[in-house]
Amino acid sequence: MSIWKLVWLELKAIATDKAIAITLFGGVLFYSVLYPLPYLHEVPTRQAIVVVDLDRSSLSRELIRHANASPKLEVVGTVGSIPEAANWIALPKEGIQAHGLLVIPEHFSRDVKLGKGATLAIGGDASYFLVYSAIAEGLVDVGMDFATELKWQALTSRGTNPVAAELQLNPLDINSVPAFNLSLGYTPYVVPGLFLLILQQTMLVGIGILGAGQWRNKGYWDQVSPLMLLGGRMLAFMLIYSVFTAYYVGWCYYWYGANLMASATEVGLLLLPFLLATTVVGIAFSALFTKREQPTQVLLLLSMPILFASGFVWPLSLIPEPLVWLSQIFPVTPAIMGMLEMNQMGVSWSQILPYWLHMWGLLIVFAPLAWWGIRHHRSKLD
Amino acid sequence: MLEPIRREWHSMLKDPWLLALVSYLPLLLALGLWGLFSAAVPRELPVALVDLDQTQLSRALGRHIQASPASLPLSYNSEADAIDAMKRGKVFGMVIIPSQFSAGLQSGKQPTLEIRYNGQFLLVGKLLNSNLQQSLAPALQQLARTQLLAKGVPSVQVGVNVSPVQFQITPLYNQASNYVAFLMPPLFIALFQIVGMLIFVNALNRELDTSGYGNWLANWGSNLTVKWLVYLPLALLQSAVMMVFLYGYQGMPINGGFGWLVLAQAVMLSAVFLWVSTIFFLLQDKARVVSFCTALFAPAFAFMGATFPVHEMPELAKLWRILMPSSHYIESQIAVVSYGLGGADVLNELTGYWGFLLLLVPIGALATLRKRQWQNNALVVTNTGSSKPSGEEA
Repeated sequence: MSIWKLVWLELKAIATDKAIAITLFGGVLFYSVLYPLPYLHEVPTRQAIVVVDLDRSSLSRELIRHANASPKLEVVGTVGSIPEAANWIALPKEGIQAHGLLVIPEHFSRDVKLGKGATLAIGGDASYFLVYSAIAEGLVDVGMDFATELKWQALTSRGTNPVAAELQLNPLDINSVPAFNLSLGYTPYVVPGLFLLILQQTMLVGIGILGAGQWRNKGYWDQVSPLMLLGGRMLAFMLIYSVFTAYYVGWCYYWYGANLMASATEVGLLLLPFLLATTVVGIAFSALFTKREQPTQVLLLLSMPILFASGFVWPLSLIPEPLVWLSQIFPVTPAIMGMLEMNQMGVSWSQILPYWLHMWGLLIVFAPLAWWGIRHHRSKLD
Repeated sequence: MLEPIRREWHSMLKDPWLLALVSYLPLLLALGLWGLFSAAVPRELPVALVDLDQTQLSRALGRHIQASPASLPLSYNSEADAIDAMKRGKVFGMVIIPSQFSAGLQSGKQPTLEIRYNGQFLLVGKLLNSNLQQSLAPALQQLARTQLLAKGVPSVQVGVNVSPVQFQITPLYNQASNYVAFLMPPLFIALFQIVGMLIFVNALNRELDTSGYGNWLANWGSNLTVKWLVYLPLALLQSAVMMVFLYGYQGMPINGGFGWLVLAQAVMLSAVFLWVSTIFFLLQDKARVVSFCTALFAPAFAFMGATFPVHEMPELAKLWRILMPSSHYIESQIAVVSYGLGGADVLNELTGYWGFLLLLVPIGALATLRKRQWQNNALVVTNTGSSKPSGEEA
């Protein structure tokens, strides 16, 4: 049997197996839409807050108007006591659930005018972290701005000229800007890493189901040498996955607004060992199973740990070392880091070389295992 | 009813994979996930500090950054080196103190302090940014104070002039801003939803293997109930143990009653079982049932709304969200754990699951269809003597 005949048979086996087709064709396309779907609005804005206005002065009402003007906040109501506000956070009122509160203390206006200073209490529902950070940032921004305005009034009323007052208020300028993901959007953060993980997991599932279904039965696969089967299977999945990868990394990255800094050649060069290593890891992994329904289950259970151990959600330095070592056996771990550093953050090719070599290393380690796995099942069949 | 339950238990004990799913496997995974985030509060995140000024003042700023538990300043000699370190993910932020910073400040030229943080690592970047600002604020207030005093403002007034309004910020329900308290509950919910799904999938799939599948189908209603009675407590045990681990052993605060959580989990897992039954009767092939259920439940975490708020999701995402039992459950969980609700409020939330009962319609229709197919096939088999009846036109 020629290698091309074998590849053709492999492709046919993949396309006609509905369980594999659901995962490969359905899964890859379906996930490219479904996973980023919740994050399409990118940044949380207009979080509902309740104001506890104990002062009821013109100054406190002005502060409330300022809060309502912030793009991060929306004042949904004013109440007279903190327990009332707490109730509103726990149970929605008129269909609106508040997630934060601002307490303006009694005598706020008087204390500020007398120069005694006042303290504003800010609370955000930290059961939801992004909501909490949006509320805290929003309210602190509003409060600081309000304070600056008060200071400016105090200074000018004492006869400081406005230009000098301006300088006194802001003796220096802090220019704090995010790098790489300038909008702090959620899809550019999640998509680059997550999509590589989807590619790896679906490929491992596909190879796993295919292998597990074949080991116990005769077929085209036992008419070629183990080495040839290994090569043919790698080639077949490389063919399919170069299309999927082009769709994910080429089109989806662009569509979901990820930063793109590397050239197509560089990205291709980075992903070549990723795909190759994933095929051999997949074939070696498939040798562990003889039941078609099992590889999917194992990989599903492993998906979350692999995602969080890859280092783009949670810093690697905070993850216990043994878990980090374990995650290194999956090609997606160096692939994600290499991709992020090169394509999203723009380092030069030479600097991601360690990741690249890591993936080639996995290929070299797992190829013999895959070959041995195939040979093992072949000998059992005979 | 007791006899079928006993039989179900026996066949479960003979299935090592199912046995692993109802015993040690989920707990190992839960421990692994917890291990990943066990640091709980990010500490000593590396920050590149480029001090081009090299004065007493700039070094004082450096010490303020050092004093913050969240950041660990690493000195770099040039901006280019710092940028490079940032691109390679070695530092998550950088602070550049320009040359002539101190001189500019003292002569009233309003110099600029440059801070960059890594937005690609969104969670760490944002955290670092607010921490840097927080740690620099007292240093800068000190500067303003000195300047005012030098101008002859009485010292009593200086304090008020520097900060007429102060803030007291409280993260409600998670006062230490602990990431374990924030991430673990949704992760565990996603995990036990998947585990519950797999348990039921495997329990149903086993019937496809047996020669008595036709008989099983004949009484599908009561047989399905038996499975529900056997596997619900087992799946519930997994989810309850995970929550005991968080709120008992780890001692995370819980304001409501634990019993309400277990009740909500029972309802949620039943909804998951309904989904699985629908897909099982639809596809009737072991690997395909697993693949389809996986495709359905794998992305559930993103839709729960713990990371990205629900009311910011597009309508389509909200629609998909309704289909996931986990996104109903997390609301009850937060209501009980954070807001300390119970009783009528929880029961009221549980009525939100009624839509899942609609799945009984396709389950009934499909199961009856499969039953008929099987009976027809059985007739064909007895007529032709074929050895392998199949309920599905593969």
